[in-house]
Amino acid sequence: MLTFDDVVKRRGAREVLSGVTFRAEPGRVTAFLGPNGAGKSSTLRILLGLDRPTSGRALVDGRPYLALRRPLGVIGSVLDGSGAHRSRSARQHLAWVARSNGIPRRRVGEVLEQVGLTDAARVRAGRLSLGMGQRLGLAAALLGKPRALVLDEPVNGLDPEGIRWIRRLLRSHAEAGGTVLLSSHLMTEVAELADDLVVIAAGQVVAAGPLDAVTAGHPTLEDAFFALTGGAS
Amino acid sequence: MTAAVAGAVDAVAAELRKVLTLPATLGALVVAVLGPVALAALTASQNPRGSAAEAALAAEPLVMVGAIVLGVVAVSSEYGGGRQIASTFAAMPRRPAVLAAKAAVVAVLVAAAAAAAFPAALLAARLVAGPGPDADGVLGRAVGGGVYAVLTALIALAITVFARSGVVPLVVLVANGSVVSVSFLLYQVTPLARYLPDLAGMRMVAGEDRLAIDDALAPVAGGLVMAAWTAALLAVAAVVLVRRDA
Repeated sequence: MLTFDDVVKRRGAREVLSGVTFRAEPGRVTAFLGPNGAGKSSTLRILLGLDRPTSGRALVDGRPYLALRRPLGVIGSVLDGSGAHRSRSARQHLAWVARSNGIPRRRVGEVLEQVGLTDAARVRAGRLSLGMGQRLGLAAALLGKPRALVLDEPVNGLDPEGIRWIRRLLRSHAEAGGTVLLSSHLMTEVAELADDLVVIAAGQVVAAGPLDAVTAGHPTLEDAFFALTGGAS
Repeated sequence: MTAAVAGAVDAVAAELRKVLTLPATLGALVVAVLGPVALAALTASQNPRGSAAEAALAAEPLVMVGAIVLGVVAVSSEYGGGRQIASTFAAMPRRPAVLAAKAAVVAVLVAAAAAAAFPAALLAARLVAGPGPDADGVLGRAVGGGVYAVLTALIALAITVFARSGVVPLVVLVANGSVVSVSFLLYQVTPLARYLPDLAGMRMVAGEDRLAIDDALAPVAGGLVMAAWTAALLAVAAVVLVRRDA
């Protein structure tokens, strides 16, 4: 379970997040939805201990990320592409990530296979397409067999076949009891995938709950999204 | 094994893998080892009656160049070329431990390069022009050169944490070590400049008669002053890393 408790983030005079509170439950796919710049990435970075909240806290199974030893066995994450240095191969990247958390070396081959990158294992990360970079990022997230997966805009750059593949992967992860939290600015791509929705606009959560509860009273998810985020439809 | 020790071992092993799979590392090691060999051979060929040991010692600055590159890229590679820093801190949230692991890996690599470079450079100079006259305190100065290179690499590493990019630290440090030393210019203004890290450690490598300043610190005292600077800069870098958003 991932918990956000009144998270506030200020950068200079600008308030990026104004008291973000929600939960992502095990066994469910939670979609974190909002327009670009609404604060989705900032929220996820605070959860992962990369950015410090001005106040409030984000917890992984009740503990702050910074208190996790070998965190990759608890929570895997993909932010902004592969996360690999461009001159390292996919295999080299995964090898150091695995070593950093005491994950057995054989997992590298297994996750490469799982994300369909076995044939590209020796290709430098800088030469991978956007979609293949996303797959490499996901491979790193899966290395430690974590219960929770956190993905920032996971379908960016994926082709239709890739989108279908990642939907199946995330769905089966949740069905096996795992927690999935993914952010997106595209409603249509999460409509078929999410159990729960959290909608954020201008740094504030404007709606949260099961998909049908959030969209109740609106003809489509898209209409609900624009009504909630105050955008023109 | 306690959890803290296991964490440190994981971090060092991961950082070693990272450094060894960067092309820039290979380049830096080649410069640090083969550079002094070539320069010592060249010096010996230009001055066949000179001391082979002095020729090898005079080639030590190329070890320093390789050391600076190693220290810089260990950190700058996290920020350039794909913003790997998020992967690093997601995998190893304890940032001071990551910095310590990077420092340990860089120190060991630079020490190994220096330990290989000096005997190889000495051998090259002897092969070209024979041993020539003896030089003073050759072993001590060769070891001092290795210590100087390790400390310089760690200072480069700390400064790159502040800059989050490799270009400025590389240019400043390499230029400061070869073209014009800022500390030497400051020394013209105040003798206190001899306590700045690069001047303080200078006598570890250079013979007394070869220094551009008169009242340089003695080798051991100067080495300790330089080591204190290095420790202080690394400590500030750790604080900056912890407080700054990745």
